[in-house]
Amino acid sequence: MKSRYQDENLKWIPILIIAIYLFPFLIKNATFSYKYYLYILNMAGIYIILTVGLDLLSGFTGLMSLGHAAFLAIGAYTSAILVDQVGLPFELSLIITPLIVGIFGFLIGFPALRIEGMYLGLTTMGFGFIVKRLIIALREWTGGSAGLQVSKASFFGISIKNDWDNYFLIYTFVILAVIIARRIVQSKLGRAFMAIRDSEQAAQASGINLAKYKMLSFFISGLFAGFAGVLFAHTNHFISTDHFDILLSIFFIVMVLVGGIGSIYGAVLGTLFIVLMENLFIPMFEESMAQIIHLKAGEFQVFIFGLIMLLFIIFQPQGLYGMWLKMRIYWKLFPFNPRKRFT
Amino acid sequence: MSELLTGLLQESISGIALGCIYALIALGFTLIYKATEVVNFAQGEVMMVGAYVNFFFVTQFSGMAGGLNGWVFLAALFCSIIFAVFFGIILDYIINRPLKDEPVFSIIMATISLAIILRSLTAMIAGPISLVPISPFGDSTIQAGGIVISVLDLAIIISAIILMGLFFFFFNNTRWGIAMKATSEDSEAAQLMGIPVKQVYRMVWVFAAIVGIISGVLLAPRMALLDTTMSYLGLKAFPAAILGGFGSIPGAVVGGVILGIIETVSMGTLSFHFAWIKEINDIIVWIVLIAVLMIRPDGLFGIAKVKRV
Repeated sequence: MKSRYQDENLKWIPILIIAIYLFPFLIKNATFSYKYYLYILNMAGIYIILTVGLDLLSGFTGLMSLGHAAFLAIGAYTSAILVDQVGLPFELSLIITPLIVGIFGFLIGFPALRIEGMYLGLTTMGFGFIVKRLIIALREWTGGSAGLQVSKASFFGISIKNDWDNYFLIYTFVILAVIIARRIVQSKLGRAFMAIRDSEQAAQASGINLAKYKMLSFFISGLFAGFAGVLFAHTNHFISTDHFDILLSIFFIVMVLVGGIGSIYGAVLGTLFIVLMENLFIPMFEESMAQIIHLKAGEFQVFIFGLIMLLFIIFQPQGLYGMWLKMRIYWKLFPFNPRKRFT
Repeated sequence: MSELLTGLLQESISGIALGCIYALIALGFTLIYKATEVVNFAQGEVMMVGAYVNFFFVTQFSGMAGGLNGWVFLAALFCSIIFAVFFGIILDYIINRPLKDEPVFSIIMATISLAIILRSLTAMIAGPISLVPISPFGDSTIQAGGIVISVLDLAIIISAIILMGLFFFFFNNTRWGIAMKATSEDSEAAQLMGIPVKQVYRMVWVFAAIVGIISGVLLAPRMALLDTTMSYLGLKAFPAAILGGFGSIPGAVVGGVILGIIETVSMGTLSFHFAWIKEINDIIVWIVLIAVLMIRPDGLFGIAKVKRV
């Protein structure tokens, strides 16, 4: 453990975890509409689990996915069907559903062995459209385009009644997901992923089984997305295919990119940044904008996201986490400022 | 059975017209991909902008001329093309210049973000109400042996053929076309040979914008309503380009036409005769895409690239 995270300061991690658990008490005292903020934070937590998985796939293995909303959808619908129609307990669904979604990821991994870059992006995008259509076609179980009501979950006897309970459940899993993802990154598996990202040929030459590791990467990413899907279904209590649009897949990539692709903390930061922007800051702008010009709901928000993404790609490709690292290193090595530390 | 056959024929012609539009969009990003290796996910949005701009000009000019006539449409088309030239130059400055040597991932995401920006900006400027597109040919049709062909479809097919012919001629027989080919082959070597690579890039983006905007002008009258969902058709042109082989101009055309036919036929007669097709007809292009990528990733006309370390 010590050698693995040698160059990192781990002292603040327990403090951060305690802060995460104390945060709801803080905002409960601070505002009356704390339930709304808790709901937003819950959604952010669910998305964090997914984007951490997406970061493992896109940032560490270098495989592009424009269809992660489809994985989320499969997870959400599978869990809803398993719990409400098959009658499995929620805890069991938390184990089975991610595995099922992981197997779907595995299947998408097959074409990834032959194609790369933009082609893979298009394949996963197509996968997203196909999944959406299939959900509508299987209307006996999924309720078609009308959507599906999902029951409230109960976790080992504790029933998750509202967003307050859900916060603790979700953020426990968020912390677990981040820790697991960081362990993966620092292990043999993670190093193999990064080798594939940097050069497939070189990785193959050094004895990395490309097929195995690419499939594994998709499988792991699917696991994370499936987990997020289960929590999504039981947080929202209503799912329909409109939730899992292609735009959502793109937003996931935006979250990873804005946070800093190729770092787990970056994915977390980026997701928090985008979700908070979406729900707290942009509505304020939108209200004042709506007095000037007539707007369809959401257009302005989408515009801002596009702009943020473009500006980040052009001016700050390392994202928020990269900015933070640069600042930190700059002050650490102040008199001997390094050049080209991050290329 | 003959009813099925005439239905199929009729839809094939409509499919060819749709396929020509796919082919034009595919041509747009094939051009950019050939020269700069940038994949422009925003081509569908360029098409949408074209439809809107042309609609704007048509309404303006018909207001000035006091009615709709052929000259109004021609003038609007001309103004749209001039707009496209400036649009292409702007896109070159925003997307191509700063991201020239970035990894594929960032470029794709940049063009996707451009697509998002263009779509929402258009929606914000045009207002929340969908427009009803104006067709220069009305609803007129031609009867030929039991098959009804709309004049609009015919016009789309003819203008697409003319445009593609022009491009083919341009790429193979003119000085600038050959310069573009050389740049796409190896931009550094082209630069050493005295080809102004930056101008070539700008020109490619301008051409792509022109093609995109013309495809928007042609597609708009086929739509029942003009709104921003039109740009999703641009995504469907990707399977077309990949089916033909990404980066090949004849491939883009053939792939577009094949996909157009597959789509309209599966949406029409076949879905009445076979119930299961009804469920999949709006994702059939994506199924085709995945099948093509699994079986023959280089498409029909593509050449397999060997990657060097």
